[in-house]
Amino acid sequence: MSSKLKNWLLFIATCLVVILLAMLGSNITERKSESQFAYQPQVKITEFEPRNEVWGENFPRQYQSFMKTKEMNFSTMLNGNQEKDILEDSPELVVLWAGYGFSKDYNAPRGHGYAIKDIRETLRTGGPTGPGTGPMPSTCWTCKSPDVPRLMNEIGISEFYAGKWADKGAEIVNPIGCADCHDNKTMALKISRPALIEAFESMGKDINDASHQEMRSLVCAQCHVEYYFNKKEPKKGVPYLTFPWANGMTVEGAEKYYDDMNFSDWTHSMSKTPMLKAQHPGYETYQQGIHAKRGVSCADCHMPYKTEGGQKFTDHHIQSPLANPANSCQVCHRQEEKELIENVYSNQRKVKERTKRLEKILVRTHVEAKKAWDLGATEAQMKPILMDIRHAQWRWDYAVASHGGSFHAPVEISRIVTTATDKAQEARIKLARLLADLGYDKEVPYPAIETKAKAQKYIGLDMPKLEKEKKTFEKNIIPKWLEQAKAREAKYPTESVSSK
Amino acid sequence: MMFKKLIPPKQWQPVVAALIGAIVGLAIYTAYNARVGSYLSDDPTTCVNCHVMTPEFESWKHSSHREVATCNDCHVPHTSVFAKYGFKAKDGLYHSYVYTTRSEPQVIRMHEAGQEVVQANCIRCHGDQVTDAKTVAMVPDNYKHRTDRQCWECHRETPHGRVKSLSSVGLGIEQLPVQYNKKLIVPEWLKDALSK
Repeated sequence: MSSKLKNWLLFIATCLVVILLAMLGSNITERKSESQFAYQPQVKITEFEPRNEVWGENFPRQYQSFMKTKEMNFSTMLNGNQEKDILEDSPELVVLWAGYGFSKDYNAPRGHGYAIKDIRETLRTGGPTGPGTGPMPSTCWTCKSPDVPRLMNEIGISEFYAGKWADKGAEIVNPIGCADCHDNKTMALKISRPALIEAFESMGKDINDASHQEMRSLVCAQCHVEYYFNKKEPKKGVPYLTFPWANGMTVEGAEKYYDDMNFSDWTHSMSKTPMLKAQHPGYETYQQGIHAKRGVSCADCHMPYKTEGGQKFTDHHIQSPLANPANSCQVCHRQEEKELIENVYSNQRKVKERTKRLEKILVRTHVEAKKAWDLGATEAQMKPILMDIRHAQWRWDYAVASHGGSFHAPVEISRIVTTATDKAQEARIKLARLLADLGYDKEVPYPAIETKAKAQKYIGLDMPKLEKEKKTFEKNIIPKWLEQAKAREAKYPTESVSSK
Repeated sequence: MMFKKLIPPKQWQPVVAALIGAIVGLAIYTAYNARVGSYLSDDPTTCVNCHVMTPEFESWKHSSHREVATCNDCHVPHTSVFAKYGFKAKDGLYHSYVYTTRSEPQVIRMHEAGQEVVQANCIRCHGDQVTDAKTVAMVPDNYKHRTDRQCWECHRETPHGRVKSLSSVGLGIEQLPVQYNKKLIVPEWLKDALSK
């Protein structure tokens, strides 16, 4: 073989090696990029994108199931997804909350899709006539919308909590959704609100240690918890959203926490008790139950996996598991659907029986305390009684405000109701003695509060006025908010992902 | 002597060195691009380098096995280190060939060698359950039934479930194994805002 031919062969062989290597390289790159299209992104989701429908373009299944939180077609024995008037059901509550917003209006919660609509429509937020007006602080928006982390990032946390509820109505318009729980790039679960992180710190824990399974409950625990507005810290005068967890996540832990700092949400207009309003300690109560102890997360039951044409995904129709026992309960429990639901109801009926009784006893404590004041009781005489009333009602409220508590931790809720009854009866024994000392030894009559209207009149609420204010607010203010929000969101960049 | 023949004449040496450099460089780049290093590990995310494996990865990740067993715990032999890497290399070369030439089937099934390995691995962990002396004594034909079938003939959903076609996970963006990235729990902006 001539050396010329040899050189040519060598040249061609080298060319081939390089071409093959380059082809392999390009093939690897190509096949890597293919995986990007296993899911087809339509738009680029920015870090603070508050519009759920934008996320929905990339995740149609999750979004469409999330949209079902607007359904109002299901009810359980105690709740469901309808806007049920609880005060109409139990007019006693009007008296228990006399002097506080909840006596005006209190509905059973509807789905997440109604978060914004419901907070605008409830009488508790009153009828603001413009910025700086109305009864509620800006803090009340915190759990309602993915606009909240966006705005917090823009203006700062304390600045977000500062001011009145009406001040931020134009900013917060999208109901609870994607950005509240998910990272925009990876869709991983994330914490978007400061209070839970701070509460973990107050217990000496680091939320960054949470496992994926724990996160499937913790994203819910950002909102479904007991909380209060701390006006002393970290910034004076600003109602800073805080969880009372420093003494642990129990009813007694929170009670001690509030007592130690001398906190009260309001003063009862009849008994003059410095009261505590339990919010909705759902997460804390769930922690006391068997499902939490076995490592079952909120999402396991409230957002079970489902399949559609072989595609498996998490059902974002967050609702009562009783609406869907096949995917929630029966994944673990092999009993009949009817039997499972009856088991839940049986626990709930038993707890409900006791709380209904307790509510009547609590009404009596307030009415009897008022009688004592009217007869000239002194502050010193009333102090131990008011403390009992405070603790009794706090425990009752804690038990009933934790929606689903009688399922999540029936034994714990029963215990709380029992100790509440104990404290309330303790107060009534002291009141009986005091009334006798004051020269009154008859039974203080139970008020005529058979309906919500009667009860509201009894505590002196001017309902027609409140409703009129609300109507004016809905007519004059809300359209302006919507307009401003629309103009703002029109400027958001929506970059579509082209597949060229 | 042979080796000497391969050395080119002096005036060609720079050119040849440059050409060899180009080839080696290209090879290194290809290896990097293909994340070749990751194949030495036991990390399940390595298996989704090739996204054909996404349904298997996803179904494993949503199964109870994810807490205790990785892909390699079941799919490669654990008899010795040589058996493990030998099997990995053999299987891996075959897989990369199939994947590169796009000849992967719609429904992926284990070959016989793989089935033997998985069966052995089921027993490796669940030995106590399948060799319980009491059941052997009480249940007729226990030994026979235990040995003439594969575990997954009955335990069909373990751990991958029955949906095995390539299209079974479409919107599963979770092929980015994000839950391992713990820093994301508190987003940067909130960390900054809280430290203020």
